[in-house]
Amino acid sequence: MSNWNSEGERRAPSAGAEPMIERLIFNNRPIILIVFLALTLFLGYNAVKIQPDASFERLIPLEHPYIVNMMEHREDLSNLGNFVRIAVENEDGTIFEKEYMETLEKITDEVFYLNGVNRSGLKSLWTPNVRWQEVTEEGFQGGTVIPDDYDGSQESLNQLRDNVLRSSAIGSLVADDFESSIIYAPLLEQNPETGEAIDYRAFSRQLEEKIRQQFEEENPSVDIHIVGFAKLVGDLIEGIESVALFALITIVLTTVFLFWYSRCIAGTAVPVLVSIVAVFWQMGILRLLGYGLDPYSVLVPFLVFAIGISHGVQVVNAMALEAAKGFDPLTSARLAFRSLYIPGIVALVSDAFGFLTLLFIEIDVIRDLAVAAGIGVAVIIITNLVLHPVIMSYIGITKGGVKHVQNHEGGADRKWRVMSYFAHPGVAPISLLIAVVGFGVAMYYKQDLKVGDLDQGAPELRPDSQYNQDNRFIVDNYSQSADVLVVMVETPPETCTQYPVLRSLDRLQWRLANTEGVDSTGSLADVSKIVTRALNEGNWNWYEISRNQTIINASIRQAPSGMINTDCSLTPLVAYLDDHKAETLRRVTNEVEDFADEYNNENHRFLLGAGNAGVEAATNEVIASAKNKMLLAVYGVVSLLCLISFRSVRAVLCVILPLGLTSIIAEALMAQAGIGIKVATLPVIALGVGIGVDYGIYMFSKLERFLKEGYPLQEAYFETLRSTGKAVAFTGITLALGVFTWMLSPIKFQADMGLLLTFMFLWNMVGAIWLMPALARFLLKPEKIAAKAGNRPQ
Amino acid sequence: MFSRTRKHIVGIGVTVAFAVAGAGSAHAVRDVLEVPALDTDLAAESLLLDVEHLEGRLVAVGERGHIVYSDDGGDSWTQAEVPVSTTLTGVDFPEGNADEGWAVGHSGVILHSSDGGETWEHQLDGREGIPKLVSLYEKRIEAKEAEIEEAEDEDRISDLEWELDDLVYTRDILQEDLERFGPWQPMLDVWFRDADYGIAVGAYNLIYRTEDGGETWQAVSDRIDNPNRFHLNEITQVDGGDLYIAGESGFVYRSTDDGRNWETIEPGYPGSFFGVVGTGDGGVLAYGLRGNVYRSENGDEWNSVDSATDRTLNAGDVNADGEVVIVANDGAVIYSSDGGQSFSEHVRPARHSYVGVTLVPDNGLVLVGEKGAVLTDRRGKGQEEDPLTAPEPN
Repeated sequence: MSNWNSEGERRAPSAGAEPMIERLIFNNRPIILIVFLALTLFLGYNAVKIQPDASFERLIPLEHPYIVNMMEHREDLSNLGNFVRIAVENEDGTIFEKEYMETLEKITDEVFYLNGVNRSGLKSLWTPNVRWQEVTEEGFQGGTVIPDDYDGSQESLNQLRDNVLRSSAIGSLVADDFESSIIYAPLLEQNPETGEAIDYRAFSRQLEEKIRQQFEEENPSVDIHIVGFAKLVGDLIEGIESVALFALITIVLTTVFLFWYSRCIAGTAVPVLVSIVAVFWQMGILRLLGYGLDPYSVLVPFLVFAIGISHGVQVVNAMALEAAKGFDPLTSARLAFRSLYIPGIVALVSDAFGFLTLLFIEIDVIRDLAVAAGIGVAVIIITNLVLHPVIMSYIGITKGGVKHVQNHEGGADRKWRVMSYFAHPGVAPISLLIAVVGFGVAMYYKQDLKVGDLDQGAPELRPDSQYNQDNRFIVDNYSQSADVLVVMVETPPETCTQYPVLRSLDRLQWRLANTEGVDSTGSLADVSKIVTRALNEGNWNWYEISRNQTIINASIRQAPSGMINTDCSLTPLVAYLDDHKAETLRRVTNEVEDFADEYNNENHRFLLGAGNAGVEAATNEVIASAKNKMLLAVYGVVSLLCLISFRSVRAVLCVILPLGLTSIIAEALMAQAGIGIKVATLPVIALGVGIGVDYGIYMFSKLERFLKEGYPLQEAYFETLRSTGKAVAFTGITLALGVFTWMLSPIKFQADMGLLLTFMFLWNMVGAIWLMPALARFLLKPEKIAAKAGNRPQ
Repeated sequence: MFSRTRKHIVGIGVTVAFAVAGAGSAHAVRDVLEVPALDTDLAAESLLLDVEHLEGRLVAVGERGHIVYSDDGGDSWTQAEVPVSTTLTGVDFPEGNADEGWAVGHSGVILHSSDGGETWEHQLDGREGIPKLVSLYEKRIEAKEAEIEEAEDEDRISDLEWELDDLVYTRDILQEDLERFGPWQPMLDVWFRDADYGIAVGAYNLIYRTEDGGETWQAVSDRIDNPNRFHLNEITQVDGGDLYIAGESGFVYRSTDDGRNWETIEPGYPGSFFGVVGTGDGGVLAYGLRGNVYRSENGDEWNSVDSATDRTLNAGDVNADGEVVIVANDGAVIYSSDGGQSFSEHVRPARHSYVGVTLVPDNGLVLVGEKGAVLTDRRGKGQEEDPLTAPEPN
C-alpha cells in the first residue's frame, strides 16, 4: 500500500497523457458498470450458496508418512473411530434410581432413531448387547444388565446394581462414581438407504435439540454431556457460521471509522460497497472452483475486506485532492486512477507474495488459504482500481469531504512535529535501546514457545467450550482418554492373529506402558489374554497369550470389529495418552519407531500413526520443519522487494528490522498466551510480515524522496509523516479492525489467529513509525543521499 | 524361447525367496524364553500371580517374567533379575530356607534363585520338559504293549488296547503341538520340601519332580490317576506333612509320601478347585469356583462350608492360630478365625481381583493380583487408594 496520492497533483489532465487502459475504462463506463453488475449478481449468488466445509482431510498433512499410512488403511480403521458418547449424569444421586433409569431409557430410544446412528452397535444400560457374564461349573452364565423383569422397584434396582458390578461396564459405560452412565452410539459414514454421507451439522443439531435440550428440560436433575468426532465437527461448522456476525461487526466498525476519516458519505459508502463486492467475488470464485468455506479460509474475506477498504481510501483521498483543485468528478476520478493504477497493482502483488510463501506448508487447508487470499488480492485489483473510480466518477466527493482534506493539510502538523523526534539524534538511541531490550526480553520469553496444541481436550475449540467441558467430564469420570494414537500392524493376509504378531503387539504395548505420557494401551493381544482367561474358568494364571494358535483363534472369535480387517492383514494397537503436547507425542512416536526398527520383518510391520494423536504428531513435524523454510522465504521475498525498490542494503535493514522485532515479540506473546506453533498460527507469520512490510516500504519511499530533496533527516521525516502518517495509521487500524473480531470466535484457533494478526498489524505500524526513523538515523547518511540525488541531471 | 522365459521367472522367484529369507533372519523376533524381563517400575503394580513369605522377605511373581521382592513387609518392592519374559504363575521357597527358591510359569518354565530371589536362572522349560513327558509316554506305551502281549482274556485285551490308544493319542498330540506351537502348556505351581526335593505341577496333568535341586527334572505324570488330563492348579503341604494338589473339575489329589504316590479325592463339588490350605489344626480346606469351600478334618470326609461369598476363590493362607484368609476375584477377601468353619467377606472397593495372599506379622496381609501387591489388615481392609465405591441404592 504505497502512498501515491500526491503524484496526481503535479500532472495536468491532458488528453495525450492518458494511458490506453484509462481511456478503455472511462470511455465505456456504462458497459463496465453493467458487466460488473452482472458478474456481481452471478458471483454473489455463488458466494451465498457456498457451504461450510470442515473436511478432515484438508486439515492434515497428507504427504507425511504417518498420514500416508493412515489413509492407506482408512477403510480398515473406520470401525475404530466414528461414534458419539452421550453421558447422562444424575446430579442428585446415583444411576440406580427409578427416575434416572426412566430418563435414560427414553434417551436411549431417542438416540436409536437419530439419523446416522448404527443401531446394531448402540450401547447403553438399556440395550440388550450390554451383558454381564459369569463363569459357572458348566461354562458361562449371563444376561442383560437390565433385569428381564425390571419394573423400577427397589428390588430390581438392586438387581441392576449387582449386574452392573459383574459386567465390564464400569469405566466404559458406567462412571467410576456411579453418578452417570454412557450411551455409546457408533455412526454410519453413509446412509445405507440413500448412500449419502452423514451430515455432521444436522446430526450435531439433533443431538442438541432432541437430546440435550429436550431431556435436560424434562428431567432437571439430569445433565447431559456429549463428545465424539461428529459432535466436534458439528460444533466447528456452527462456529464457522457464527463468523457472519463478526463480518457484520467488522463492516459497521470499519464504516464508522472510514466516515470519521473521510467525512464524506460517498467516500465512505463506495469503498465499503466495493469491498463487499470484492468479498462476494472472492467467495463466488472459490465456490466455482469447488472450494467450501473451511474454518481457515472463512477468515480470508475479512482480510479481503480490510485490504479493499485501505486501498479504496486511497482512491477517495486522491479524488478529494483533485476535487479540491476544482476538477469535476469524472476528471478527478480519471486523475486518481491515472496516479494509482501502477503503484496499486505493485502494492497488491507484493501482498500476494506474503501469501504465496504459505504454499511451503504441505497441508491442504493452508494451501487453500493461500489460494483464497491470492484470489482475494486479484479481485481487489479489479474492483478497487476499476469499479471504484468508475462509480466515484458519477458520484464525486461531497463538499464536506473536500473541505476535510483541505483543512487536514495544516491541522495535524503539531502531532507530526512531535512524532518526527523519533528521528532526532537524541531520541533515536533511546528508541534503539528500548528495541534491543525488547528484543532480549522477547527472546527470553520466546523460549517457552511450543509446537502443537497445548490445551486439554479438542484443541479446535476453546477450553471452556461446551464440548471441552463435556470432554473433561467424561475423561474425569470414565477410564477413557481423548488422545488416541493408533499404531497399525500390517501382516501378510490371513496372518494378523498369529502368535508372533500378538506377542510383538504385547511387547510394544508394554514398552509404551513404560513410556511417560502413555495412560493405557489396547490391542488384539489384550482381547486374547482376557478371553483365554475367561475360557479357563476365569483363572488369572491363564492371562497370557498362548503359543497354541487354536487357543488364540478361540480367544479372538468375538473380537470387536475394527481389531481385525476383512482379510486379516491389519490389526491396530491403540495407545491412550495423557495429553497431546508435542513432547509427549514425540516421546511416544520415538518409542514406537525404535520398536519398529527392531521388530519389523516380513511377518509384521508396525506403522505410525492414526488417531488424533497420530495426526497431531505428523502435523507437528510438518509444521516444525515448514516454519523455518517459510520464515526464510517470506523474509527473503520482502527483503528482495525492498532491495529492488530502494537499491540499498541499509534501506532494507531500516524496513526489515522492525518487522523482525515484531515477529519475535509475537512469538514471545504466543509462548506466554499458551498458543503453540500450529496449522493456524504459522500462516499468521506470513500474513503479518507480508502485509506488514507495506507500512515500511510506504514510509521509507517518502522519507527517501525528501532526503533526496535535501532535507535533513528529522525534517524529511516530518514531511513524510505529514503526507503519509495519517494513511499509515488508517491502514493499520483498518486491518486490525478486520481481524480483531476473530478473537470472539468460538473456534480457538480463529481466536488465536485474530489475536496474533491484530497484534502484528498494529505493532508493524508502530514499528514503521517509531523504529524505522531511529534506524535511519544510524544507518543512513542523508548528505550522501542528497548529494547523489543532486548529481542526477534534473 | 518358451523354456528360456520360464527359467528366467524361476530365477527371479529364487532371488526373491532368498531376499525374503535374508530379511527374516536378520529381524527374527526373539522368544519370550530368550528375552529377559524388562526392567520396569510397574512390575509391583501389574498382574502378580503368587506371593511367598520367607523370613523377613516377600517374593512375588507375575506377568511378563516379573519377580519382585520386599524387605519391608510389602511396603516397597524391588524387581529381581529374570532371564525370561514369559508369565510366571507360582513361586516357592522350602520351609526354613530363605535362599533357595523356585518359580514356574508359562512355556513350562522353571527358574531357580539361590540368593533369596534377587537373581534367577533358567532350569527347565517346555522345550525339554515336553520331550521328557513324551518319553514317559513312550515307556508307558511299551509297557502297555507288553501287557497286551501277556494278557489272555479277550475283554481285558480290548480294555488294554483302548488304554493304549489313549496313550498313543496323547503322545502324538504332545509331540505334534510342540512342533507346531512350541511349549505352550503352562506350569501352574511349585513346591519344595528342602533345597533338593521339589515338585512342579501344571496344566493338562503336567507334573515334574527333582531330587537334586532342579539340576535334573523327571516327568512323573503317570503317578496321578488323571486320565482326562485335568489341570493341576496348585500344590500345597499342610501341617502334618500331607501334600495336596487342587485340580480341575472337582478333583483333589493327596500324597502322604512327599508326592511319590497320589490318591484321587472328590470332595463333592463338580467345579474346579484352585487351591488347598490347611486349617492350622490338622484339617484342610479346598476352595475354588464361585465361592465354594470344602472342609475336611482328615482329608477323607469333606463338607461344604459357607464361605460368605460367591466369587471365585484363588488363593489362601493360614497361621498357627487358625486364622484363614482366602482371596478372590472382584476384590473379595474372606476371613475365618476358627480354622475355616465360618467366614466373613470383605469386598475391597476397587474390586480388583486377588490371586495370591500371605499372612504377615502385625495382623497384616499382603495381597497380590490384577493390579500388583497391596498391604492390608487381616480382613483385607485398608490402603484403599482407589476411591471407587459401590453405593447402596437409595
